[in-house]
Amino acid sequence: MIGNVGAGAIRVAQEVGGIVVLTGQVLRALVPPRIDGRELLKNLHKMGNRSVPIVVLTAFFAGALMMLQAGPFVKKFGATSLAGWGAGYAVLREIGPILIALMFSGRVGANNTAELSTMTVTEQLDGLRALAIDPIRFLVVPRVIAMVVMLVVLTVIGDLVALLGASIVGRTMLEIDWSTMYYSFADNLKPYDFLHGVYKSIAFGVAIAMSSCYFGVTVRGGAVGVGRAVNAAVVAAAVSIMLLDFFLTYLTG
Amino acid sequence: MTPTVRIAGVGKRYGARRVLEDISLDIAPGKRLGLIGPAASGKSVLCKLVTGLETPDAGTIEVLGESIVGKREAQLGALRRRIGMLFQNYALFDFLTVEQNVAFPLEQRGGMTADEIATRVAARLRAVGLAGSEHKLTGELSGGMKKRVGIARATVADAELVIYDEPSAGLDPVTTQKIYDLLSADQVRTGATVLAVSSDVAALASFVDEIAFLYRGHLIYRGPAAGITDAPDPLVRQFVRGELEGPLDREGVATREGEDR
Repeated sequence: MIGNVGAGAIRVAQEVGGIVVLTGQVLRALVPPRIDGRELLKNLHKMGNRSVPIVVLTAFFAGALMMLQAGPFVKKFGATSLAGWGAGYAVLREIGPILIALMFSGRVGANNTAELSTMTVTEQLDGLRALAIDPIRFLVVPRVIAMVVMLVVLTVIGDLVALLGASIVGRTMLEIDWSTMYYSFADNLKPYDFLHGVYKSIAFGVAIAMSSCYFGVTVRGGAVGVGRAVNAAVVAAAVSIMLLDFFLTYLTG
Repeated sequence: MTPTVRIAGVGKRYGARRVLEDISLDIAPGKRLGLIGPAASGKSVLCKLVTGLETPDAGTIEVLGESIVGKREAQLGALRRRIGMLFQNYALFDFLTVEQNVAFPLEQRGGMTADEIATRVAARLRAVGLAGSEHKLTGELSGGMKKRVGIARATVADAELVIYDEPSAGLDPVTTQKIYDLLSADQVRTGATVLAVSSDVAALASFVDEIAFLYRGHLIYRGPAAGITDAPDPLVRQFVRGELEGPLDREGVATREGEDR
């Protein structure tokens, strides 16, 4: 029992150490910033543009749900002017960044790990090295940048869509006027509420990018290994998102 | 004359598994050496050691006059641009088309215009019989076609040292002969040094000057390719002739007296 716990702790420490080392290699590869533009654009499109529909859907219903949950209480206490604030505060600071990051991890992070790990087991990374091309600089750096940038962009889009979802539910199901909702957002939400979510999305983006790339480039064992790597990357990203969210909220909330 | 490849006392382990032990080997400039041996005898690992893709646990390796042991990736870049390598499992980039795969080494090396690269790539694809497949993704190709793309990519930049890991695997006999003729003509034209690994000993012997036999991580024989079927070592002789009776059993594991199975 104790042996198993110890072995698990060592394994986690090794993985965390590996992710930290890879992060260091990515930072070193950014100086000077020689990034393959074609790879960067391809990843920005693939990771960002194609994620918009799923993020819009998730964010719309996240905002709608917040309003649906808060609505009956604000109506009961006659505090409809605070309905938008309640939903907006929760969405911008917590629900939006977390839900979008988890969706992004499941869609983009998992896909990235599968791609990189397949490339690793089919010796494509060795093929790059044999041609004097650093796989970190050529493959990992553009993906990390694309994931961080696109998660921030998607979070901003998601925030706006979530507020729209909250407004529509407020109007159609709870009969709260559009203007009441608007002023509830405008008067009560502060720019920092929005920025707080953006800061978090940057941290979440880094966590998803680094864990998905790390498990992709360190995979062993063919197709079975690819499956294990994807699983490990998604779990690591989800745990990192929760831990980062707690500490970022505690330190900067 | 300094050998193009000089390997001295090289050993390599993966965990507790010993893959290569005390390997010493020279390849003179412009010579072609074939490497044969049973499956899992360390042939591909030796190829990767020569390109610096793997690091030995013991010994020294000099390639094209440079020691590569202990060097960082960034320090090996210039040397690797002088080496062409065909991987056993192709290692083609699946995010690029056939044409882009072959053009990749030239683009990364620089110094050529886009038109020059396109002309050279087209000629190379014609030579390996892949004209018309330029715009296919590698996932759309058969194993033999992938192998030929790998050969085109390994040879397109006229490297000084070319390593072929199983150049004829997955190819039919006629294509195999065409490919070896092409590799031979290339080598004569460029004067490159060649290290080739193959299980098709007869075809390999027609291409290389000498053959070395790797067995259980040890280099146990090296001799002229011409007389390989009559090599003095019974292990080599049985392996080359493909005989069932002898010191090797059917899995290629030795049963020589005193050896562990």
